Amino acid sequence: MNNIVVAPMLIPLLTAIFLVFLRPYLKIQRFLSILSIIATAGASFYILDLIKKEGILRLDFGGWLPPYGIVFVADSFSMLLVLTTVLVAGILLFYAFSSIGQEKEKMFFYPFFFFLLTGVNGSFLTGDLFNLFVCFEVMLLSSYVLITLGGNKIQLVESIKYVAINLLSSWFFLLALAYLYGTVGTLNMAHLSLRVAEVGQGPLLTIISILFLIVFSLKAGLLLYFWLPGSYSAPPTAIAALFGALLTKVGIYALFRIFTLIFYHEPEITHTLIGVMAILTMIGGSLGAIAYNDIRQIVSYNVVIAVGFILTALAISGEVAMEGAIYYLIHDILIKALLFLLAGTMIFLTGKAKIEEMSGLIRNYPLLGWLFFVTLLSLTGIPPFSGFIGKVLIGQGAIESGSFLLLAVAFISSIFVLYSLLRIFMNCFWGETIISEDNHVQLKKGMLLPCAAFGIATLVLGLGVEALETYVSDAAYTLMNPEVYIEAVLDSQK
Amino acid sequence: MTITVGIFIPFLAAALIPLVYKRLSNKYIGWLVLIVPLVLFIGLIKYIPLVSSGKQFDHTIPWIPSLGIYFTTYLDGLSLIFGLLITGIGTLVILYSIYYLHEREALGRFYAYLLMFMGAMLGVVFSDNILVLYVFWELTSISSFLLIAFWYHRKQSRYGAQKSILITVSGGVSMLAGFIMLSVMANSFSVRDLLALSGELSDHSLFIPAMILLLLGALTKSAQFPFHIWLPDAMEAPTPVSAYLHSATMVKAGIYLIARFTPVFGGEELWLYIISGVGLLTLLWGSFNAVKQTDLKALLAYSTVSQLGLIMSLIGVGSAALKDLEPIIYTQATFAAMFHLINHSTFKGALFMVVGIVDHNLGTRDIRRLGGLISLMPVSFTIALIGSFSMAGLPPFNGFLSKEMFFEAMLNVRQSDLFSIGSWGVIAPLIAWVASLFTFVYCMIIVFRTFLGKHQHDKIERKVQEGTLGILIAPSVLAILVVGIFFYPNLVGKYLLQPAMISIYPQYSGLDGLTPHITAWHGVNNALLMTISVVILGGLMYKFLRYWQGLYTIPPFRWSIDTLYNSVLVQTENVSSRVTKTYMTGRLRDYLIYIFLFFLITVGGGWLLADGIEINFANDAPISTYELLIILAMMIAGISIIFAKSRITAILLNGVLGYSIAILFVFFRAPDLALTQTVVESVTTALFLLCFYFLPEWKKITSTPPRKTKLLNALIAITIGTVVTIIALIVQGNKMFESIAFYFEDAYRLAGGRNIVNTILGDFRAFDTMLEVVVLFIAGLGVYTLIRLKSEKGDKAVEDQ
Repeated sequence: MNNIVVAPMLIPLLTAIFLVFLRPYLKIQRFLSILSIIATAGASFYILDLIKKEGILRLDFGGWLPPYGIVFVADSFSMLLVLTTVLVAGILLFYAFSSIGQEKEKMFFYPFFFFLLTGVNGSFLTGDLFNLFVCFEVMLLSSYVLITLGGNKIQLVESIKYVAINLLSSWFFLLALAYLYGTVGTLNMAHLSLRVAEVGQGPLLTIISILFLIVFSLKAGLLLYFWLPGSYSAPPTAIAALFGALLTKVGIYALFRIFTLIFYHEPEITHTLIGVMAILTMIGGSLGAIAYNDIRQIVSYNVVIAVGFILTALAISGEVAMEGAIYYLIHDILIKALLFLLAGTMIFLTGKAKIEEMSGLIRNYPLLGWLFFVTLLSLTGIPPFSGFIGKVLIGQGAIESGSFLLLAVAFISSIFVLYSLLRIFMNCFWGETIISEDNHVQLKKGMLLPCAAFGIATLVLGLGVEALETYVSDAAYTLMNPEVYIEAVLDSQK
Repeated sequence: MTITVGIFIPFLAAALIPLVYKRLSNKYIGWLVLIVPLVLFIGLIKYIPLVSSGKQFDHTIPWIPSLGIYFTTYLDGLSLIFGLLITGIGTLVILYSIYYLHEREALGRFYAYLLMFMGAMLGVVFSDNILVLYVFWELTSISSFLLIAFWYHRKQSRYGAQKSILITVSGGVSMLAGFIMLSVMANSFSVRDLLALSGELSDHSLFIPAMILLLLGALTKSAQFPFHIWLPDAMEAPTPVSAYLHSATMVKAGIYLIARFTPVFGGEELWLYIISGVGLLTLLWGSFNAVKQTDLKALLAYSTVSQLGLIMSLIGVGSAALKDLEPIIYTQATFAAMFHLINHSTFKGALFMVVGIVDHNLGTRDIRRLGGLISLMPVSFTIALIGSFSMAGLPPFNGFLSKEMFFEAMLNVRQSDLFSIGSWGVIAPLIAWVASLFTFVYCMIIVFRTFLGKHQHDKIERKVQEGTLGILIAPSVLAILVVGIFFYPNLVGKYLLQPAMISIYPQYSGLDGLTPHITAWHGVNNALLMTISVVILGGLMYKFLRYWQGLYTIPPFRWSIDTLYNSVLVQTENVSSRVTKTYMTGRLRDYLIYIFLFFLITVGGGWLLADGIEINFANDAPISTYELLIILAMMIAGISIIFAKSRITAILLNGVLGYSIAILFVFFRAPDLALTQTVVESVTTALFLLCFYFLPEWKKITSTPPRKTKLLNALIAITIGTVVTIIALIVQGNKMFESIAFYFEDAYRLAGGRNIVNTILGDFRAFDTMLEVVVLFIAGLGVYTLIRLKSEKGDKAVEDQ
């Protein structure tokens, strides 16, 4: 039992509710937002460090012991994601200050932002499958609102699809929960793992696990990603970046959790299916990334490729691949935020969205151009940026387990990433400068600095792998050894 | 330690340039930068005696020790040669560029890239850890990319840059995969560990794949056939860059890598075949294509491709030494390779610089517009003559020596019975000879077409003059080296080549003849005869060039890999676009169909395939008549909704469904649930009705969808419903455990509430309830914002496009 575990969720939640009442006072809203982010980040870091000393932490809500009550479980995997989420959200908040516009700020932008954060962090922390559903709902509801915030036509058109598909996936989620509860009679994830292991994962449980796979694949954009490019292109930049960085990651997290903790007994079926889906996702994403000339589409398909890439690690399994996946997840949260910010900033500056309509931007905005170049390298997995180590470890895992097809597709997809982003870079940043003195839009410091912060972060993360290694290896170890997690959750002495 | 610092100095200097750049006149920045390679070069020279006496140096900084990734630098004979080339040629190139580039150019950017490249390249040759090596390897690709596109406003520059980065990074990615395989086999990232284990690795099943992947990296980087196509387009870079990266150093990284890994893979037959085969093919193809070029730099590019092929083929042959009882025959090939590597850097560097001067002073490098420059640019002519003749393999220039050795090595292949080379053995010297013919021809073209003949005043806009003293220093130094090495080849042999040979063949380090004595005159032998025939026949071919030039328009010789590359890119984009737009329709209906189909295939298919799970009604309670009636009513209501003609009807029917569920709850003795359900149903129905009041008339879609669509919809709906129901029934009959719900039956004692549902909602799982309240709160706020924050009609944001 440790009450601090709820902090990463509770602080954003209280902030959100509190900010609703401060609607007209933008300065105070901004100030409190930052304060809240700092507090959440501090708490998250404290928890992460505490796990290193004391092992997995748990909080039983209302004092009801698992498996009867709801638990929050903080292990290194979830806390690494929580911490990254909070830090990335903090930087995005700065970007939002100078880009989102007073009108939206007054329309509860900050409360929704924090509600979203509540849902995301809750999803990472919960140890109860039904509670996961509820946290998903918190997150989704906020995202529904954020995607429509501003209410222009394209947002509404895309949001209808987004909402409809997510409602469907929520229905599937509920269905899967009902089936699972009907079969094994419990909701606590550790307890589920124990019970599934006890009876053996027979055909029925495997079918149910596939249903869960569908649910989380819809959220993660694994193969079922059709909703993603459209809806990620619609909202304002700061929100699109938040989506691109975080939303799919929650689905990915859930897939990793469920298929390492509960349904890991039939890898020939489930993990093979995941592998096939990952391959198709990478292929589809790669094709999509070079099929369009619209920057927003290109970056959205890059999200898709990364999803496939990370899920290869789950298909492979094994500690090395898991470590790689965790590094890559952290990297991808960060770099996708940056990518979306840059794409949005380019569109803001030029008023255009197609690559053939921009040219020579680097003369006007050199730092922005170089940041884009860094992003391009980092996404391709070129050292010394943060994408490298994850790529190497996933590759190593694939080789050790003999999954050469996965390896080939994953590595080739990075060439497509490179090509798709090079097209943007060479068309938009290089070439003759077309912006005349009069049309030169000043790039606000408030927009550039957050991008620069991400740029520095990707380099620091790439070079400073050693600092993260203890946490990441612990996270991977826990993922691959479910009994560690189970013991921490079900041991009533703790 | 010094080496580690040495790698970082250029990076540091590159980082400092932007700081200094603004405060310093453009005139001086080059001089400042010049200090860096000069100091490094002198520093490395000091190591020559130490290394040639058999010493090696290493230094380690832990980078990611927990994953076995150390930043280890390692200096031995092989890396020393490359280090000297990088810093030595680097010094000359920077000196040259000070005079070559105009002060108005973005010199800060130029030198920053160049220094970054220099550091990266030093990193490649001095790294012992393969992952660190890969880091620097990609950095060289990146800096090359940036330098090629230095004039990024030009379309051709961008094209060349993109081509180079796509090809080299693809190769790099493949090499990374190979490296990872190697590390998995040897459980280490250290090159020296790999070399030490070399004997044991060859049985591993990953050995061959790792080798091929690694070779892909090396061959793309060194512009070997068919990956050579990026190099001619890389000539869009400023000439100093072409001289430095694209002839002297970066393109030799692949050769370095292959030489470095020869002890690991050299014993493998495939290694020899691939490297020498590709090398010979590149040699021939490059020299053949060089002849038809009209742009002097493109000509030099193809000649570089060809010469790299030559070195490659020699190293390939040299690897046979690891298998043979008489290794000396083959080690000589490697020796020749290393020697030619140095020689090539000198003469090709000089040639590039001269071409740069011509281009700089005349504004063109098209041989059709050049000629008769000999009297106007005598110094340049002399240097060009030295460089070209050396490349053609004529005495008294260093190229003659290595070319002779090359012929000798190729002739030895013929005699070899190794690896059952058989009739292939004849082909090697033949290709070498033919390629040398073309080489001779294009060397003559460089000198004579540019400097002899008639000066074409009408085609040159500028007044022709010799290059300034400053710009001539660097090429002159190289030209002197070309001659100097011819007269004192054994200095190079003893101090540079011998240690390198020991690095490549550590097991033969004691062997006599590993570093042969180089002599210009070794009697009349086959190699010399080959050279003589090349000179005679090549001279004739040059003379009668226009008679056989038509050859280049005949199909197999006309083909170029470029066309293939371009069409692959275009086709990939087209296909991607077509495929993606086919399934990404933007229509919700299609997306839902994908999801449902996926559900049917995986879950439904899973159910069909699985055995041993059946619907089991045994434990179910009997169904009463009332229940049956309610269910029937629900079914009728459900089906009727689809056919409803107005919103009101639809929502009322929906209400019927809801209330029926409430009644079912009553039957199941859950009055509280029934109450809740009734309230919820009443409120939603009322709200719906209220909303409908404001909505426009429900117009039936004017064009009814085709029957086929309707049928498909019906089919999907029915199958989904069936699968969901069947699985639900299976679950119902297959309860494997007692539910945790039994715990809550004790609610009164535990939580003090008599109503279990209430205690669950309000206590046991109150957290869920709280979050659901939050969800409602968000939804309410969301609706409010949607209504309030409507964008105005005329608002034409980009997002609207």
